[in-house]
Amino acid sequence: MSDAHQERRYWRSVERLLESPALHQEPSPELADGADLPPDELTRRSVMKLLGASFALAGLTGCRRPEEHIVPYVQAPEGLVPGVPQRYATTFPLGADAYGLLVESHEGRPTKVEGNPQHPATCGAATAWMQAATLELYDPDRSRRVLRRQRAAADEAGEGGEDEPGLQAGGWDDFVAAWRQGAEGIAAGGGAGLAVLVEETSSPTLGRLVSELRRRYPAARVVAWSPVSDGAIYRGLGGRRPWYDLEHARVVLALDCDLLLTESNSLHHARGFAAARRPERAAEGMLRLYAVESTLTLTGANADHRLRLQSRRVPAFLAALGRELGVAAGGGDAARELPAEVAARVPVIARDLRAAGSGALVAAGRRQPEAVHRQVLAINQALGAVGTTLALQPLADVLWGEAEGLRELVAGMAAGEVETLVMVGGNPAYDAPADLGFAAALDRVPVSVHLSSRRDETSRRATWHLPRAHFLEAWGDARSVDGTASVIQPLIAPLLGGISDVELLALVAHGEARPGHEEVRETWAARGVGGEEAWRQALHDGVLPPGSEAGAGTAAMVGAAPAPEPAAEAEPAAAAVPPAAGEGSPAGGEDGYEIVFCPSPYLWDGRFANNAWLQELPHPLTKVTWGNAALVSPATAAELGVGAGDRLLLNHAGHKLALPVFVLPGQADGSIAVELGYGRAAAGRVGDGVGRDAYRLRTAAAPWIATAVTAHRTWGDGTLVQTQEHARMEGRQLVREAPVAAFLANPGFAQEPEAKLRLESLWPEPAYDEGPQWGMAVDLSRCIGCMACVAACQSENNIPVVGPEMIARGREMHWLRVDRYFAGDAADPEVVFQPVPCMHCENAPCEQVCPVAATVHDGQGLNLMVYNRCIGTRYCSNNCPYKVRRFNFFNYTKATPEIGKMAMNPDVTVRSRGVMEKCTYCVQRISEGKLAAKSAGRELRDGDVVTACQQSCPTEAILFGDLLQADSRVVERKASPRDYTLLAELNNKPRTTYQAKIRNPNPEWT
Amino acid sequence: MRGCARGLRLGAFAALLVALSGCRGCPSSRPPIHLNPNMDNQPKLLAQAESGFFADGKAMRTPVEGTVARGGLAAFEPASSGRDAAGDYLAGSPVAASEGVLRRGEQRYGVFCAPCHGERGDGRGMLYQRAQVESADLLAPRIRQMPEGQLFEVIGDGFGLMPPYRAQVPVVDRWAIVAHVRALQAAAGPDLPAVGEAAATAAEGQGAAAAEEAQ
Repeated sequence: MSDAHQERRYWRSVERLLESPALHQEPSPELADGADLPPDELTRRSVMKLLGASFALAGLTGCRRPEEHIVPYVQAPEGLVPGVPQRYATTFPLGADAYGLLVESHEGRPTKVEGNPQHPATCGAATAWMQAATLELYDPDRSRRVLRRQRAAADEAGEGGEDEPGLQAGGWDDFVAAWRQGAEGIAAGGGAGLAVLVEETSSPTLGRLVSELRRRYPAARVVAWSPVSDGAIYRGLGGRRPWYDLEHARVVLALDCDLLLTESNSLHHARGFAAARRPERAAEGMLRLYAVESTLTLTGANADHRLRLQSRRVPAFLAALGRELGVAAGGGDAARELPAEVAARVPVIARDLRAAGSGALVAAGRRQPEAVHRQVLAINQALGAVGTTLALQPLADVLWGEAEGLRELVAGMAAGEVETLVMVGGNPAYDAPADLGFAAALDRVPVSVHLSSRRDETSRRATWHLPRAHFLEAWGDARSVDGTASVIQPLIAPLLGGISDVELLALVAHGEARPGHEEVRETWAARGVGGEEAWRQALHDGVLPPGSEAGAGTAAMVGAAPAPEPAAEAEPAAAAVPPAAGEGSPAGGEDGYEIVFCPSPYLWDGRFANNAWLQELPHPLTKVTWGNAALVSPATAAELGVGAGDRLLLNHAGHKLALPVFVLPGQADGSIAVELGYGRAAAGRVGDGVGRDAYRLRTAAAPWIATAVTAHRTWGDGTLVQTQEHARMEGRQLVREAPVAAFLANPGFAQEPEAKLRLESLWPEPAYDEGPQWGMAVDLSRCIGCMACVAACQSENNIPVVGPEMIARGREMHWLRVDRYFAGDAADPEVVFQPVPCMHCENAPCEQVCPVAATVHDGQGLNLMVYNRCIGTRYCSNNCPYKVRRFNFFNYTKATPEIGKMAMNPDVTVRSRGVMEKCTYCVQRISEGKLAAKSAGRELRDGDVVTACQQSCPTEAILFGDLLQADSRVVERKASPRDYTLLAELNNKPRTTYQAKIRNPNPEWT
Repeated sequence: MRGCARGLRLGAFAALLVALSGCRGCPSSRPPIHLNPNMDNQPKLLAQAESGFFADGKAMRTPVEGTVARGGLAAFEPASSGRDAAGDYLAGSPVAASEGVLRRGEQRYGVFCAPCHGERGDGRGMLYQRAQVESADLLAPRIRQMPEGQLFEVIGDGFGLMPPYRAQVPVVDRWAIVAHVRALQAAAGPDLPAVGEAAATAAEGQGAAAAEEAQ
């Protein structure tokens, strides 16, 4: 059996699979186009631009040794030893969610973001966008001043930079004085004419300030808006948020729901998912995941069974499932709307869910309308999931963003009813629904104030721009999905004089400026954390002590939910859905294609667009960097006559947008997925003009799923920059996997190919018998491909950003890459992810060819890189079978601005041009762990050294430790029969090994 | 050919210039020539580095007031402030004066205090011997009468010309130094009975656990 599985063909893209069927016999050119060309001036310049190019600072030091000064503390803070980093607990607020973090600080400067193990929403891990927060903080494009724009003068001259006419720079005090002057008039009218637009938030302090504001100005409008919101789920569940417990689930059905990456709380889901799928305990049962979705998400890629279904047809699927489970079904004609192959699977899924009983769970994504969530709740109740795998958390004071409120506000603005508009964060001129005309309405408001970290699309049209403090600079608070409240503790004083959301709202609510710290303390004092001691404990831990009123999240959960109201009239999606296409007929049907909007997993709604790490991080599934695309299925691409390199013009109700095409296997036919967050016009020098702005297609009525869309091929170059094509498999068994039944029958299947190998070395091999001997284990069963490890590595190891031109030539610098392989059918493939860092081979081929001994082995089994010795022959890279070495073609960090230097890890060398580099197993963390153990006077223990990738991994797929320590977790993992070595036949003896992937398919499925 | 020869001559001349300009023994106020940068200076901020971004030039920032680092709660315990809950100085040290504590105190005193206050605590340390700068005489009645909590606080916060030693001397070491100062006072003369009492109560009393930690 296992042979059949292992001889499966893996492939990397549809183009490779379809255009060249003999590809695996006939290798394509080894190098990417242009990889052998010398760099030209254009690419050089764009690289410099990325890192904030201020040549005046960096270029003129000449060839003399720069003068350095030692600048010590005058009054050294207690407990801070220069050179020894500290850690602070704080919280990342994102919409209505909160993620607890531990942030490393070097001498009072935050340098590295990690998850707080005590926080239920992060469990110690961190996503890519959390890790990139430090680069966001030290972004040279953040605004530094309060700007006042005299509209009349500015309009004459048109838009421009900061030196445009009519623009007046000032400070926070100027704004406070101006506000107090205007506030008297506003108060006289009871707040009529005042509107406050906030971002969706779960912050107790912002909630309190908003209610105080409403008391002070009863006639004022307060509206929340966020383009990516869980509001539909909240309303559909009757005013509660869902907290999924995957760890104790047996069968999970994800309906258009990317539980593992882009839905709220994804880290918690990933941790539970991995914990419930341990192949070592397969005999006791593993979680089985079904995914029904339109675009291939990370959840679908990790599902045991996946059904492709247009997002608009999910209500029909749910109705069919409800009928199978005996739950009163809502509208939706399943027979008419569901493709036959999907309809045939519904009873199988229903049987499996029912068999799992209270271990079953159905989850629907934020894209689906309220009615779907009501129906999902009814099904979960019928299954007995509520109270076991699903807890419902009432969060009464969350300010939910909603399009309806925004529509009324814009109407008021256009009608001239709004005289003063205060926008606390957000970027509505960019991300509001296209049909509302927010930007034009904003021009009609006499006084508009925008708090923003940069002078973005909205700020450019507002009369006041206030610089916004980063969350690492300001006091605040937030609550996670389960209700756990935590404080946002600043790591550094505002670098650029930023104002926090709390401070601006406090000014509006109280009429006077108050420090954010006092406001947050006041909120928490009212919630039972008044005493100094309790408050300090809350700051120290990052979560509130259990038992206190504000932290009572989990305890206050509702176990048994009341029956949902019957979903009688609210079936908006049902009427609009055309009959399912028969096989062979155009998948779009006569009613047009659907567009499915997705938040970018990295740039989110566009707020992180100026972050070069996130722009360059390859997308988990498409591996596209620096841009977005229209994702279409192979069949739809054929129907539209488009392929890679083409552009597609989408037309939704008169809103048009042309995008590059990406043919994504696994995409539902007739459904076109587009990521939000790209195409910014005023994000900064990194994010401007990267990708296309999908908000231009998004309307208030169809915020997530747009139907009746027409699409056709249009002119223009749609070339995308991708990384996956850079390394290839050549038909070898790099990834190994088996279904669970086959694994139980033959646990050692992964080691069989090497069983007959006789490996002998030409020279005597070192014994490596004195500890510590470092090694790594990567469990492919656990890896979900979320790319958090790559972001962590970039942040920890000062890895430069190279820009799209260099990526196109295969010159990306990421030390760790996550390869994504498809297997099986081009329309509906299975997916495997494989993280590949340096293997630290004991017989390292790279070391044998280095002419200057720049790469050598040490006594702990580390394959070291001596940067100063490297002369850049690149022989080592050529001889590396795993292709994990990276070469600095330029001095990528030469133009680092002063503020950008703070984002660098002081413990890691910043490499220069002409130097080879690669994964070091985080050698600086090894040293730190050894020193800490030595000064504590004890032996090194398992867990003293945690690499950056291991630390950030939500599923604990990566383990690192001493191979000679019998009780270490890495030794235990490597003892698994699933353990195998990449390219073992080369006898390189890598220290990094893999554990084969085990799937848990339903035997009834076929 | 002519052009080539001319180029060679120019090159030789340039080489000569470089050789001369690099000759040893020519004093210059400018930093030395450093032709191969070799990553000697990297765009990152090491401890005590200078930063052009901040007006004060310090790359090291002071943590925001009111924040608590991981492991930073100890700084707020009563034993860390020298004062009790009511805000009065602790009369006796919470760290019992064991032999180990006294030895540690003597050693730390020698490092941080003796240069000014002298080995015997008479205020005649190296600073006085070399520069005639007077430091407080720790044997004076005024200091003998101070509660131990106040001595502890002065070590941490400084007094007059004396800088704060909060950052250099951890809490336990500060109490050890206080114990050593009391020992110096007792050795110098028995003119204050209160000293013995305070030490006795402390030895019997509360801080046995803290003393173990100190050892």
